[in-house]
Amino acid sequence: MRDPINPSVESPEYPPELARLPPGRHGLPREFVARNQRERLIAGLAEAVAENGYSGTTIAHITRHAAVSRRTFYEHFNSKDECFIAAYDTVMTELNRRVGEAFEQQEEWPQAIRAGLAAMLEFLTSEPHLARLSMVEALVAGPVVVERYDAAIQSLVPYFEAGREGRSDEVLAGLSSTTEEALVGGIVSLISRRIFADRTEELEALLPDLVEFALTPYLGSAEAAKVARAA
Amino acid sequence: MEASERGYRAVTVADIVRRAGIARSTFYENFSSREDCFLEAQKYAMSAALEQVIAAAGEIEDWPQRVEAGLAAFLAYIAREPALARTCMVEALAAGPAAMQSYEESLQSFVSLFRLGRDVSPYGGELPEALEEALIGGVFWILYQRLSLSEAEQIEELLPELVEFTLTPYLGAEAARRLATTKAGPNRGTEMYG
Repeated sequence: MRDPINPSVESPEYPPELARLPPGRHGLPREFVARNQRERLIAGLAEAVAENGYSGTTIAHITRHAAVSRRTFYEHFNSKDECFIAAYDTVMTELNRRVGEAFEQQEEWPQAIRAGLAAMLEFLTSEPHLARLSMVEALVAGPVVVERYDAAIQSLVPYFEAGREGRSDEVLAGLSSTTEEALVGGIVSLISRRIFADRTEELEALLPDLVEFALTPYLGSAEAAKVARAA
Repeated sequence: MEASERGYRAVTVADIVRRAGIARSTFYENFSSREDCFLEAQKYAMSAALEQVIAAAGEIEDWPQRVEAGLAAFLAYIAREPALARTCMVEALAAGPAAMQSYEESLQSFVSLFRLGRDVSPYGGELPEALEEALIGGVFWILYQRLSLSEAEQIEELLPELVEFTLTPYLGAEAARRLATTKAGPNRGTEMYG
């Protein structure tokens, strides 16, 4: 399990904070320890959910993975749901940051869509636990998370709407008010279903198909395929 | 259909029997658990919806018309049975792996209907492998959003844009728009596409 905030640091079992923070008196400021514990609990929840599913996860599972006491858990969160929401928000913030950065780095919109999708697939493939947590388990985790999940997906719509700029009247006439929503929904559905089927490692291979699917309404099939299959 | 009002997680067996006006023992004669009851409801609704789709579209030779008729029948079913539709398309996602599996299967039956479009498409052989899954995923997402917002009564109005969305990759935007906006007529032959 890698730290979602700092993916370059690897540790087979625990987030890196644990290795850096010896048990007992360490003279660190209180807020630092608290922040650290919170991060460990979030990482612990992701591991526990990967192992047991959201419904099967207990607070005991989370504290065991995080190597903190039950009391510490309740200092940070009132419930499993609350801890899950914190984990979900952490994952989505990171995912959005990566997608946004990849998108912004490209000058041309079709290449930007390609780069954004590539960044998303890369993150999800490299973090299979977090992929499952954010794309599959989130739907089981109660109405608050489902609402955030819906909002997170809808927040991708503007990336696609940007593709309308400068298109001919003919192309624009072919787009409806729900085109972007349907594109985003189709992409997310395809990704989620691979993760659900435990085929997360296949995600990156989907890139050309997803790019072509996303660009076709704006560029037509032939041009979309060209961008999708460019190296 | 208690689940459609309060969400699957909040519904208890007591709620279901009260609503259905049956004894708790009767519930357990028919279902082993709340999950079991939910899965049965989901299975029932999905096969009913698919039956309608097949009845409306199964005999139509012309593929775009077939897609249009199939989607129209599907939307009509949702508009008629919003509570059952919510159970399948919204609550199913929150009801655990077995319900998700069943959702997945219903999605696959649409994949085969759409895949026939490759035979009439000028891009047939070059279309991306995952196209159908992405298209159905997109259609289901739109429907899921509308059902989440309890907008089932307006769902049939989505037909033209969903038809256009699904036909575009096969036939190109212009042909898809023409087919989505014209009402099915006798002169629409396969030679028009592409």
